[in-house]
Amino acid sequence: MALPKRIIKETERLMAEPVPGISAVPHEDNLRYFDVKIHGPSQSPYEGGVFKLELFLPDDYPMTPPKIRFLTKIYHPNIDKLGRICLDVLKSNWSPALQIRTILLSIQALLGAPNPDDPLANDVAQDWKTDEKAAIQTARDWTSKYAAPE
Amino acid sequence: MKFAHLYQESLQKDGFPPDWVASAISYRQLKKCIKRVETELSSMGLDADTLNLLLKSVEEQHTKHDAQVDEEEDEKPFRYQFRSQDLNNENGDKEQGTSNGARFLPKLLFAVDEETGEPLDASLTPETKREFHVLALSQQLTDVRILDITDDPARRSSFVGSFDSATSDMSDAEKRPHRRHSRPVRMVEVPLTSDSEFFGMLQDQLSGLAKLQAEQNVKMESEVKELGQLVTKVTDPSQGKKKNDLAQWRKIFELYLESRVFFSTNEQDHGAHDSEKAEKNLRRFSEELENQKLLTKFKKPESKEALDRFISLNLEILQNLRFQDINRLAMAKILKKFDKRTALGVKKTFPSTIHTSPLTTSVAKAICYQLSTELLPIVPALDDYLCPVCFSISYKPIRLLCNHIFCIRCLVIMQRARENHCPLCRGEVVMQADSRNLDQDLIEYMKKWFPKEVRSKQHENERAAARDEFGENYDKCVLM
Repeated sequence: MALPKRIIKETERLMAEPVPGISAVPHEDNLRYFDVKIHGPSQSPYEGGVFKLELFLPDDYPMTPPKIRFLTKIYHPNIDKLGRICLDVLKSNWSPALQIRTILLSIQALLGAPNPDDPLANDVAQDWKTDEKAAIQTARDWTSKYAAPE
Repeated sequence: MKFAHLYQESLQKDGFPPDWVASAISYRQLKKCIKRVETELSSMGLDADTLNLLLKSVEEQHTKHDAQVDEEEDEKPFRYQFRSQDLNNENGDKEQGTSNGARFLPKLLFAVDEETGEPLDASLTPETKREFHVLALSQQLTDVRILDITDDPARRSSFVGSFDSATSDMSDAEKRPHRRHSRPVRMVEVPLTSDSEFFGMLQDQLSGLAKLQAEQNVKMESEVKELGQLVTKVTDPSQGKKKNDLAQWRKIFELYLESRVFFSTNEQDHGAHDSEKAEKNLRRFSEELENQKLLTKFKKPESKEALDRFISLNLEILQNLRFQDINRLAMAKILKKFDKRTALGVKKTFPSTIHTSPLTTSVAKAICYQLSTELLPIVPALDDYLCPVCFSISYKPIRLLCNHIFCIRCLVIMQRARENHCPLCRGEVVMQADSRNLDQDLIEYMKKWFPKEVRSKQHENERAAARDEFGENYDKCVLM
């Protein structure tokens, strides 16, 4: 099936005017599959890290949200071991007016504002609630261990 | 190379008109004037080294008292300020119409003891002190300001020699123990002439620049207006599609906006561009016009003329921007030099005194704003009429109860998916939409201004609808 105009336009704009701290490059053999890199926000435990994600646009995109997963290991209460992300706009609050760039910005914001009250990774959220300081340190350690820029 | 030389050179070679060059900040003259200020100050024993030393000793005290310092300004041994003077009283109508109505005169103030008129600082030479003393006495009746100044024991001991009323002062301090050892102080003006000359010259030049800028502004404004009439004429869709250049001009303006010549709205480099960047972007815009052969595709001969004028208007804005950049640099450099030679710290105080200057108000900004509000909207941009879901023209347009507009095709898809929330505001309005939500006025408007886009979208919609009805392979069928 031909690539919808919308996906072509989004891709063009992502290339021409990238969002600072975020890159998304489509695979040549599958233009619905993107390699994504997100820089950890400053003043967060993820600062200095570069996180890799994969992003896939399903056939009925934008009526359904893109499928996104972290490939880089990350210690975060809303991201589980498999890299799945708990974010409302990726699920029930998706709107077809949202775009790849807005969703990636939301994910970057989620790194800056972890929400342990709505956890996906239960153990991490528990750590976060019982000893936030230690949890943040662990997040920092993981960042330098797994998300060091190449 | 010296800045003075570089400055002259770029004024000459960058192709500025002679009357611009004549209005530019005359760096050399101002530099000579600084020399006179320097000489005058030294003759009073107030050379840069002495003043710097004074400032430094106060700073050291501040670090000692750190927490207690609340009014830093008042504790300085001297101040250099600008006082506004209403020009209209003196020069009458002559200067009216320029943007700088009021002029500012510089004023050097020294702290002296309120009662005795003795200068409060020990590191001045006896002659200088004596002079100040005389000044203070002669200015007894004017400009009285009561201020508190720090008085640590080390400094006090150095005053004792020239201090008659030390005892009365002590008791004064005792009366107000909560205010730290303090002593009433007042500021006395030290008359200088060469600095008034310097700032007078600088302000004359600034108002000259402001006048030039205002003239340029008027000129370019009327150019934008004329261009607007021209573009309106050549793009008028009511002449029939064979006889107008609507599509060409849409493409030109799209390219222009994409080139972001003078301003950027990108997340990465938003804000105003300097002249160098603007020049680069403008060149890219011209090249792109060439590449897409937009210069030769016109149906109307006036279009070519309009495009030439549009480009030269942009070059003019660029030239204004350049001239402003170079003058701004000259002013920053000359103030820096002034400070280096005198330690009076005008680089910070002078620009904030003259609130608006021709160096900070941007002609480029004003004209670009006019371009984007008066000229570019003559040709409606496709970007303003896109469906936020499929990113193509929202034809036929459905206006939901929340006033958000989507193309009919995307609305049908949403309704089929039983998605009741408006994609933009999440209002529960999608399912109740029907043919009454078609915006008839907008349909007519789109047909008029986007004939090509509307036709191709209509075709797409029909094909998609047919696919829905007859299955995926519908458009692969061939009628025999």
